[in-house]
Amino acid sequence: MPATAETFSPGISVEIGKIDRELKKLWAEDGGAKTRASLINLAVYSEAPGSLPVNTKMISEITEDHACRAIVIGANPGATENRVEAWINVHCHVSRTGSKQVCSEQLSFLLEGPSARLLPNIVFSQLDSDLPLYLWWQGEFSDPMDPQLWAWVDRVIYDSRDWNDFCGQMQRVETAQAEAKQRIVLCDLNWTRLFQIRLALAQFFDHPAARARFEEIESVEIDFAPGFRSTALLLTGWLAAQLRWTHDRQKATNALDFRGPSGRGIRVPLQERAGEPIGRCVVRCGSLEFSVAHAENVDLLDVAMGDRRCRMPAGQNDTVRLMSEELMRGGPHHVYLRAMNCVRDLL
Amino acid sequence: MSTSETQQANPLREGLATRAVPQACSVVIFGATGDLTMRKLIPALYNIAADGELPPAVAVIGFARRKKTDDEFRKEQEESTKKFSRQPVRDEIWNSFAQALFYHPSEFHDAAGYKSLAERLEKIDRERGTGGNRLFYLAVAPDQFEAILKNLKEAGLNKPSEGGWARVIVEKPFGTDLETARELNTVVRTAFAENQTYRIDHFLGKETAQNILVLRFANAIFEPIWNGRYVDHIQITAAETLGVEGRAGYYEGAGALRDMVQNHLLQLLCLVAMEPPTDLGADSIRDEKVKIVRSLRRMTAEEIGRNVVRGQYSEGAINGKDVPGYRSEKNVKPDSKTETFVALKVRVDDWRLADVPIYIRVGKRLPKSGTEISVHFKKAPAVLFNRESVSLDQNVLVIRIQPDEGISLRMQAKVPGTSFRIEPVKMDFHYGTSFGKASPEAYERLLLDAMSGDATLFARRDEVEEAWAFVDPIEQTWVAKEDQPGLFMYPAGSWGPEEADELLARDGRAWRRL
Repeated sequence: MPATAETFSPGISVEIGKIDRELKKLWAEDGGAKTRASLINLAVYSEAPGSLPVNTKMISEITEDHACRAIVIGANPGATENRVEAWINVHCHVSRTGSKQVCSEQLSFLLEGPSARLLPNIVFSQLDSDLPLYLWWQGEFSDPMDPQLWAWVDRVIYDSRDWNDFCGQMQRVETAQAEAKQRIVLCDLNWTRLFQIRLALAQFFDHPAARARFEEIESVEIDFAPGFRSTALLLTGWLAAQLRWTHDRQKATNALDFRGPSGRGIRVPLQERAGEPIGRCVVRCGSLEFSVAHAENVDLLDVAMGDRRCRMPAGQNDTVRLMSEELMRGGPHHVYLRAMNCVRDLL
Repeated sequence: MSTSETQQANPLREGLATRAVPQACSVVIFGATGDLTMRKLIPALYNIAADGELPPAVAVIGFARRKKTDDEFRKEQEESTKKFSRQPVRDEIWNSFAQALFYHPSEFHDAAGYKSLAERLEKIDRERGTGGNRLFYLAVAPDQFEAILKNLKEAGLNKPSEGGWARVIVEKPFGTDLETARELNTVVRTAFAENQTYRIDHFLGKETAQNILVLRFANAIFEPIWNGRYVDHIQITAAETLGVEGRAGYYEGAGALRDMVQNHLLQLLCLVAMEPPTDLGADSIRDEKVKIVRSLRRMTAEEIGRNVVRGQYSEGAINGKDVPGYRSEKNVKPDSKTETFVALKVRVDDWRLADVPIYIRVGKRLPKSGTEISVHFKKAPAVLFNRESVSLDQNVLVIRIQPDEGISLRMQAKVPGTSFRIEPVKMDFHYGTSFGKASPEAYERLLLDAMSGDATLFARRDEVEEAWAFVDPIEQTWVAKEDQPGLFMYPAGSWGPEEADELLARDGRAWRRL
């Protein structure tokens, strides 16, 4: 294979109309020593300058665990000159049994100027047939969103942390979802980021005897890193939605105030502190304290219930790990939608 | 309390996992210094912890005869886990995990040891929040079961505490015949009810074994043709290159039929032959499986002679290296009649597969290791392409259980060119290629299930006893023959005795080449 992942270049430059032929040539050169694998079509869209090499590097890492056909698009719709370029590339990894090289194809496109509107056409013409289409949209969604594209997407992946206008962006996503021909699953990497924290918090209440504690929650303190307030809000939204808290707008404090199903007040102070996206979350129920805190210098959570302590995996906050986690878990994410609705109410 | 109750009652669990939630508990391992604990159980528990699936309030108590401290036990387990763990051992995770490891030295028959165990478990409950839930793992030889279970009962450890549960995991072999299996089950039942008993068959914890039901019942294309109208026959093969490898003491008394066929291979047969269950509940699935074991056609002595072939390996070569014959292995009698190979032709008397022979073979010192199920479909009718000279192969669906787990389908395709040549081609799905992430070890899955109260992948009493009821007459027929003439020798490194090939050749069939 002439193009290797190590260079992080998008690969061999090709004419768009000859992509299939060039891919065949690429595989023919190899003589069949490598195995092509693909479970999904993963289309990646970014309008950030220089996104192609960055996304190529990420795809190279993601394909270690998730074989796919990657369609990477760098777009600049605001450019005055029209420009369309395409590249093909292959990312190969030794399989976990060590017996063979498993390879995923990457097709890259640079669309500048008016040609950026070709996005749906380009994506559709390059799909690996019969496999689901996941669209990873980086940055903010544009308005209006192309209904053609949304008509065929199975899952749309985004990171709500990147959004400046949360409500506006969420509305666009939901409108597109409603207009789509099929059910689109919304996958927010900001939600994925919370997975291990949610798991650690949930396990405190697994034992039947611990369930009564839900009614005794007085406060939930959340520390978040600069730039991750939306993550903290999403965590709050999840607790509120699942525990049926209602937002108490009457109180004008620095914290978020809720009322539990029995009318008990619950305070959620959000504190910005340098460190991990969610550095610490402490749930107080009377004299008992449930605490989940990111351990120092290691990707583990210190989990404590009173004076009982243990460690759990913390997950990682880099985009590749988050994507990998999201692709692995799947699921319909209805709990996420409930949490999002609560977040909307908090803004 | 059921798993679904746990999930419903804890709203924070919703959407976090698609599997049952393991509950906080104390896991007491009897035989804590043994091979199984060191190689499989503690590494499995560590991997569950490293994946974040082990509830923080879990304590593991090793129970064995040898005197040692908690710290010595932890140190030993750390060394062996580093050697046998699926994923590298991280100090930060191990140090946290090791705090939950304890050692309780006692003889298995010493009642005082169980009394002190009960006290210790209560202390652990208070200190670690294990909530009075107990999971007892009998990783010992069956002759120790009675003493352990009796003492557990006398110490009151078999009874769940209020709001908690007590379960026991029993390792195979579950008896050596129907009578001993019944005795063993009766012994277990004196202390634990059936719904507290988890009989482990690690084959069922393998990803591909679980995938058999998904393949059959989540794909609409297979179910309509999964019957005698379309299926010609089914083969189930479990081949090993290994010999007895230090297990001769056990193997001499067991043999391939009891060691593999009665449990693992009949379990696979059930999964491949069963009807769709009404739901995915443990008993729904096991009800369907037990129907298959009951439907296995019992054979007369004469039929056994015709439909069962047993063999023993003689000296030969494996992977280019000379290996001794079975009778020359350490701790094996020089005139041993123990079979290291069995091939059987069985029939399931139900509507689905009444006319479909199922061929099973298992053997040691075969040329290649591999476990698989192959479903051979009937040939296309002799019209069109194969009317005159061309003989078409069958379509074969292969489910590979180990190694290189996956599924393949053989079909016919035209060879490119101006002539009309048809050759078989293979569509192949490999787990390892399509899914980058390694599957958990079978013991990880099964331990999690036992902690969650999900008995689906564990054998029920009636399944075990029915399987013995099928296997016993074969064993008895062999023993009844004075000189046991039906034991055929095969050189190590071959695919078993020629008689095994003849078993299929008689029906105009041949074993699939692995």
